[in-house]
Parts: sequence; structure tokens; C-alpha cells
Amino acid sequence: MKLSTIAFTMAHAALAGSALSLLLGLNYLTIGILFAVLTAIILGPLSDMLRISLDTASMTLFSIYNALTFIFLILSPGPTLSSEKVGGILWGSILAITPTYLIILVTISIIYVMILHIFWGRISSILFDPRLAEAEGVNVKFYTYILLILAGIAIVFTLKITGGFLVFSLLFIPSATSIQLSRSLKGMILISSIIGGLSSTVGIMISFILNLPVGSCIVIGAATIFAVTSIASSIIRSRTIECESIEVES
Amino acid sequence: MIPQNTLSLIVGPNGAGKTTLLETILGLLKPKRGTVKIFGYDMREKAQFVRKMCSYLPQDFMKSSDEPFLVKEVVAMGIASNRDFGRVKEEDWKMVYKALELVGMLEFSERPIGKLSGGQQQKVMLARALVRKPKLLLLDEPFSSLDKDSRKFISEDLLPRLIDDGCTIIMVSHDVAFRPKICDLIVKMEFGRIIEVIEI
Repeated sequence: MKLSTIAFTMAHAALAGSALSLLLGLNYLTIGILFAVLTAIILGPLSDMLRISLDTASMTLFSIYNALTFIFLILSPGPTLSSEKVGGILWGSILAITPTYLIILVTISIIYVMILHIFWGRISSILFDPRLAEAEGVNVKFYTYILLILAGIAIVFTLKITGGFLVFSLLFIPSATSIQLSRSLKGMILISSIIGGLSSTVGIMISFILNLPVGSCIVIGAATIFAVTSIASSIIRSRTIECESIEVES
Repeated sequence: MIPQNTLSLIVGPNGAGKTTLLETILGLLKPKRGTVKIFGYDMREKAQFVRKMCSYLPQDFMKSSDEPFLVKEVVAMGIASNRDFGRVKEEDWKMVYKALELVGMLEFSERPIGKLSGGQQQKVMLARALVRKPKLLLLDEPFSSLDKDSRKFISEDLLPRLIDDGCTIIMVSHDVAFRPKICDLIVKMEFGRIIEVIEI
């Protein structure tokens, strides 16, 4: 599945939605979720209707959302690019995290784990090979939309911490790292959560010490862990055979 | 019309439309005109229900080396799609191991599928198709990555046994020279059309 490409586009849809909320003076969470979820819903039918690949549809929408983000920000009332609200959406701010917000994040996490646990048999089959899952009678569209809507909600809520430009990085890099460290999907989910938490903690500390943006520090922390594990993994898992000698005669 | 408990072989050159025909039978692709009926059910209306009685071994089965699923998990997915909420029970796991043993892949059950060779992956996918105990089995180039002994075992031993147990098999091959001994019907395709049907 091309979930990572779709999630990438959804992250930028959320960003465009949040920028629009600034322009219209609406709640950024509502509009951001609306944009992300609508993107998840229209991507599949759009690529079917236009007979283009999901990748092409995703990347085209991503470009449109980026353009819209800047248009909405420029049109927003007041000194736009320097305002605190815009900074919060683009770069993120840890100061915006309240206890209520934390409770919402924890609740969402619990709901995610429950949904994954209940539907794991079907979801894992779709993640492995959606075409084959469909051929075996799984309602692929239904479960894919559940996954994408959950991803959309997660993206919008993470937006406040890392900012729109880096939200996808925080979702993607820990997952990419976990692939190097685990052989099973359940292990990967667990490890990516731990790495996400670890890099966030380290990133916040560095941001306080060096007075740098929190989102950027978190992502650089996650990327450092990814680089270390990738190098170690490439050394450990190199494919070799045992032989005395190989000769090719002319 | 494909009779029950038979093996039909679809042959033709690359790009003849063999895989498209299989996917149309399963309702994954919609026919431009005409209808597909399986066990009396119209696939336009009952596709999801009918698919639960079918198994499909696709042509493009190869997974990359970072594929996280274990061999036994991949085979269990075949059963999961027929269970409530996709829950696999204790007796289902026994069926998974039995299917893996049948295709000679039991010792690889705890390995990630991406780490296996092409032939081994094809056998795992065959085990996934078999574990569902299908009434209709659709095989797309099932021998493409297999060695000679495995081909012989599947075509001369496994497939006849499945037909005896009440399964109908539709198999695609681009290799006209190779055909299983139990073949009942040969469907020849070219340029997206059926050009000849031979009853044996």
C-alpha cells in the first residue's frame, strides 16, 4: 500500500486546512481534520476516475495544498507570517500543549490501539497486499478509510507540536527506523512508538537548551536515531554466502 | 461455462488478457459487457460473498526484503478474511501449519516472507490459497518460480487431489507446452479475446 505517500499528502492537507482556518477565523483543528479526512476519502476515487496512479494523484494534491497554504496565509488578516498563530501552525509550539490537549492525545492513542487490536486480521491482510485481500472477500475500501481517517486525525493533533512542515517527518522517521530493528509488524508498531516518544523527549530538551524550534529538534533527533540504526543494520544484515573461492574462467 | 470439479487451463502469449480474465472472474475488474456468474451468483451483486469461497494465487506475489510479515502470518491471512473480525483461532493455526507442511515450507514458518527466495514465496502464497479450502481456485502462473520437482508435485499430486475433494481450478499459463495431466478444458486467448476453447 502507498499509505506513506497518502499520509504525506494528508499532512499537507491538514496544513492547508489550518491556514484556511486562520483566514476565516475558524477552529484550526476542525478545518484541519476536515481537509485531511476529505483528502483520504477523495484520493482513491480521484485516481480511479482520472486513471492516474495514486502516487501521481497524491503528489499533485500535495503541490496544490502547499500553494493554497501560502495563499491562505498571505490573505489572512494582520501581520501574517510573523504572527504567533501562523508560527504555531507552520513550526509548532510545545507551549501550546495544555493538559486537556494531552488527555485528548492519550484518548486517541487508546482508541487507535483498540481498533488495531479488534480488526488486526483484516488490517494486516490489507497492509500486506490490498488486491489479494480484496480477492479474498475483505472490504478493503472500508478498512482503508478507517486507517486513513485515523491517520488524518493523528496528523492534525500532532500539527500543534511539530508544525505543518514537519508533522509527516515525525510520523515517518520512527516507522522507517523500526523497520531496521524488528522483523514483525507488531514489533515495528511498538518500536516506532518508543522511538517517537524518545526523539520527542530528547528534541524538547535540546530545544530548551539551545533555544531552537521544538519540531525541528524532534525531527533531527528522530533522524539521528534512524541514521545510527540504518548503518548498524546494513553492517549486521549484509547478505553473504560461505564458499572457498569463486573463479570465472575466460 | 466451466464445469464443477475440473481444471481449466487459460493459455496465450504475454499480454493476451489471461490475468485480466481471472480478475474479471473474481469481480476485481468489471467486464465491458456480459456477466460473470460463480456458483449461480452474479458477481456484480454478490462478489464479496462469493470471494470468500474462492482462493487466488496472483502472478505478482514477490515481496521486498523489508516486508515485515512472517510466513505463518501471511498464510493465516487467508483464513482471517473468512472469520469474524479477522480473528484466527487455535484450530486455524493448525490448518496454517498443515498447509505449510503440504507445500514443504513448514520449517520457514517463523521467517519474514521478504527474506525468502522467489520460489519459496510462491509456495507460501500457494499455502495461503489452499488453507482457505476453496471451492474455486484461481492460479495465475503458479509454476513461474518453482523448480522441476515442485512443479511435478503440484501438477501431478496436489491439483488432482484438490479436484477430487470438490474444488474447481482455473489456471493461467503462458507456456503452452506445459499443461497438467488432469486438464479438462483449454482456453486459448490472444489480444484480449478468447479465440478457442478445447474440451479434452
